[in-house]
Amino acid sequence: MLDESIRELESRSLARIQSALTAEELEAARVDALGRKGALAQVSSGMGKLAPDERSRIGKLLNAAKQALESAYDAKKRQFERAALTARLDAEWVDLTLPAPGPRRGHLHPITRIQRELEELFVSLGFTVLDGPEVETEYYNFDALNIPRDHPARDMQDTFWLDGGNLLRTHTSPVQVRGMERLGPPLRMIAPGRAFRNESVDASHEHTFYQLEGMMVDRDVSVAHLLYFMKTLLTAIFQREVTVRLRPGYFPFVEPGFELDIQCLICGGSGCPVCKQSGWVELLPCGLVNPKVLRMSGIDPEEWNGFAFGLGLTRLAMMRYGIDDIRHLQGGDLRFLEQF
Amino acid sequence: MKFSYNWIRELVEGLEYAPGTLEKLITMKTAECEGIEAAGTDSIIEIDNKSITHRPDLWGHHGMAREVAAILGCKLRDPANLALLPTGPAAIKIQIEDLELCPRYSALVFENITVQPSPLWLQHRLTSIGLNPINNIVDMTNFIMAELAQPMHAFDAGLIRGDTIFIRPAKPGELFRALNDEQYRLEPANLVIADSAGAIALAGVIGGGDSAIGEKTTRVILESANFQASSIRKTSSALKLRTDASMRFEKAQDPANTVRGLARAIELLREISPGIRLVGGVADQKKEMPLPPSIELPLEWLERKLGRAIAASEVRQILERLEFGVAELKPGVFRVTVPSWRATKDVAIKDDLVEEVGRMVGYDSITPTAPLVAASVPPGNPARKFQHEVRNIFIDQGFTEVYNYSFISEASARAFGFDPEAHVRVSNPIASDQELMRASLLPGIWKNITENARHRESFRLFEIGVEIGGRPGGLPYETPHLAAALFDRYGDGTGGLFEVKRTAECLMPGAMAKPAAARSFEHPARAADVLWKGETVGRLFELHPSLVESGRAAVLDLDLQLIRKLSAGDVKYTPIRRYPSSAFDLSVIGGLREHAGDLEARVARFAGPLLESVQFLRQYSGPPLAEGEKSVSFRLTVGSPERTLSSEEIGEIRARIIEGMRELGYELRL
Repeated sequence: MLDESIRELESRSLARIQSALTAEELEAARVDALGRKGALAQVSSGMGKLAPDERSRIGKLLNAAKQALESAYDAKKRQFERAALTARLDAEWVDLTLPAPGPRRGHLHPITRIQRELEELFVSLGFTVLDGPEVETEYYNFDALNIPRDHPARDMQDTFWLDGGNLLRTHTSPVQVRGMERLGPPLRMIAPGRAFRNESVDASHEHTFYQLEGMMVDRDVSVAHLLYFMKTLLTAIFQREVTVRLRPGYFPFVEPGFELDIQCLICGGSGCPVCKQSGWVELLPCGLVNPKVLRMSGIDPEEWNGFAFGLGLTRLAMMRYGIDDIRHLQGGDLRFLEQF
Repeated sequence: MKFSYNWIRELVEGLEYAPGTLEKLITMKTAECEGIEAAGTDSIIEIDNKSITHRPDLWGHHGMAREVAAILGCKLRDPANLALLPTGPAAIKIQIEDLELCPRYSALVFENITVQPSPLWLQHRLTSIGLNPINNIVDMTNFIMAELAQPMHAFDAGLIRGDTIFIRPAKPGELFRALNDEQYRLEPANLVIADSAGAIALAGVIGGGDSAIGEKTTRVILESANFQASSIRKTSSALKLRTDASMRFEKAQDPANTVRGLARAIELLREISPGIRLVGGVADQKKEMPLPPSIELPLEWLERKLGRAIAASEVRQILERLEFGVAELKPGVFRVTVPSWRATKDVAIKDDLVEEVGRMVGYDSITPTAPLVAASVPPGNPARKFQHEVRNIFIDQGFTEVYNYSFISEASARAFGFDPEAHVRVSNPIASDQELMRASLLPGIWKNITENARHRESFRLFEIGVEIGGRPGGLPYETPHLAAALFDRYGDGTGGLFEVKRTAECLMPGAMAKPAAARSFEHPARAADVLWKGETVGRLFELHPSLVESGRAAVLDLDLQLIRKLSAGDVKYTPIRRYPSSAFDLSVIGGLREHAGDLEARVARFAGPLLESVQFLRQYSGPPLAEGEKSVSFRLTVGSPERTLSSEEIGEIRARIIEGMRELGYELRL
């Protein structure tokens, strides 16, 4: 008889727990069945009247019912919690296609980009990076580079003169001289920077442009070493094997002097409009440092010699990025600059 | 300089190469060819003048033919036959005042001349290389110049007064009418050719109009001279008069060449002016000609310079083909004698011979080789590294880098209230709006703002560049600066100012803005000095709205040299505090235009040494505060490295602040 009502109580409570539709209904079912004053508690409160044997048997029966109900309750509760979490998270829906707030990253000037790349490259080859003034004396810009006054080579570089006799450097080569004076031999240096020539501006000419001067002074520096550095440098810049050639070129601060050409990267040397059908593109002047230049900077040319080169950063940037109008570089137009 | 292929072929025996092939050989071995052009049966090879600046001999076809002959191993024909030169007393006297300025002056007199158009072959030859035929006499001089690189000049002897040609400096203010019909006022720095009455030619530059060859000329004095290169160059650039003659003389021509020119003239004149007669011998005054210089060339040294081995016999052959004299001084050492046409300034030291040998063996025969040098860490360049870091910060905060010119106009200097006279001035500006060196990056940035505002509603940009400032008697100052701008078409501009300020703090943590009187181009109520570590390092302001009509522009101008100096120093670790800190909030009531930064500084001062930090929370104005008042709230964090502060201690600090501020006249909302 008591067995019967316990079983009936268990199955009724179980059904109520399992059919609860809300957390509140579930809680009410738990209180009614398992609470301190719930149905099971009431049954067990009457157990004192039973014989000891019967008491232990019914006790086991009650315990089993309690465990069954508790585990059903826990399962149902977890189910409700999961559903609640799912609902809350679903309400937190975000449109990730919306743009992120805040400024976009800015852009480095294309010359800065090329220049940095080269600086890192040369530093890794043991070169130091030097700076020199943009306003120079005639001595550093010309005389110390074996271009005395009244030398026709001065015509090669139309010069901006400043009131008072100084000038705007026509190349970054004066930094060679300053570097030799300051650091002495052995020396490996580059000097990237702004240079100026007094010429009218059009799509391919600028009065303000950027160069990277390079120099190595050591014992027994040869044309073969110069070729090695140029080839290494250009292969790194263009990220592929480049073929270079030297041909005679005249620059008073080097002897012998060269023009260095690279085989056209567009057509591979077969001839195209970029290389004017020649298969080669003139890239940089270079040479072995003229002993007069070494001597003027206090270096004994019998003991030391070196090479020097002048890389046109402006030209390199234009080649690298396919820029067809040099005026963009100083134009300050964000529609241009934001492409880099 | 234009070269006729046919002309070169006449001088190089057995030249079989086509013009295109020849052009490539010349480019690789001698000088840069700029192009090649067909001209009837001839081809014209254009050589870049810059690449033969050092080669006086290459300003004539014979010189180029010598190169070609040397490259190919062919025989060179010499068009000048010195045996034709007449001997005996000359028909004219020559008086050179300064043999340094005119190392040699040679002349010949001809009579029974018929001035007439040149034969067609001569006219054609001149036209093909860009020279205008005039008459047979003038054409002959131009032909020889183009062949032997020796400029010559013919005077009408009938128009020359006296029997002596003087080579002397011009008298101060001496007037000279040139062949181009221009009148020049000369200075003693200009060398002239004169007769007894006055200047008849500007030495090495241009002939005179008064003694020019005309139809009536029957007697000619033919000048073939040599002048000091720098003197010719000075005169030519001072008078802005560049001629085919001056261009050659300024390259330092060979004094031995003068009589070769005369010999060639005799031969040509007989052909183009039949019946011509020589009068007397060659008049020739000259400085004593120096011995041909000789250079010791150690072959092992030559190999080390080139970076490849080369046989002694090959070195000898190359130099001899170029007409250098070669003798073996001792085993492995040559004594090389320089021919006169290479000795004026081109070849003087053994390094010059490296070039001769190198270009002829071909630089492509040298294998690129890594040098064996000691590995070393190159000295750093902290200034440049710092600038790269600054760039990174500004890029990260959304600013795009611009490059502006170093030149500004007087007008834009004035627009910023800068004194144009305080700028370094360009003596020969390319345009009148580029005459001053920028003493500030701001005019350039202003231009960037107005131009980009046409296309964009908002943008951020910056430039790093040097400000150039005058310094008497030396190079000007060049101070690296950064100028950054944030433009917005909409809004009241405050957002931009604080964004720029925040970016400044990315570069300089703890930097402060100290409001200061506005300059003419700054918004009168929005300008401040930027302070960092106690120094004024720059300026934060809004551009005066009258300068930016389409929106608002916040600007930052920083002295990077100073900031780099203040940035120096390494990080020093301090232990993390072991005892908890405590925080409390305070609100100070002050005037509406009272600076929150000042209030914060005062609160912090009263808080004393246990203050860890003070943080601005918010400010408020409106009821219940009185009109013209605002309340500024701060959160103060206090603590001690040695213990946890008791609530009494914290209370004392708070009371001290309240009392101190009250004494200064500030109420606090508690």
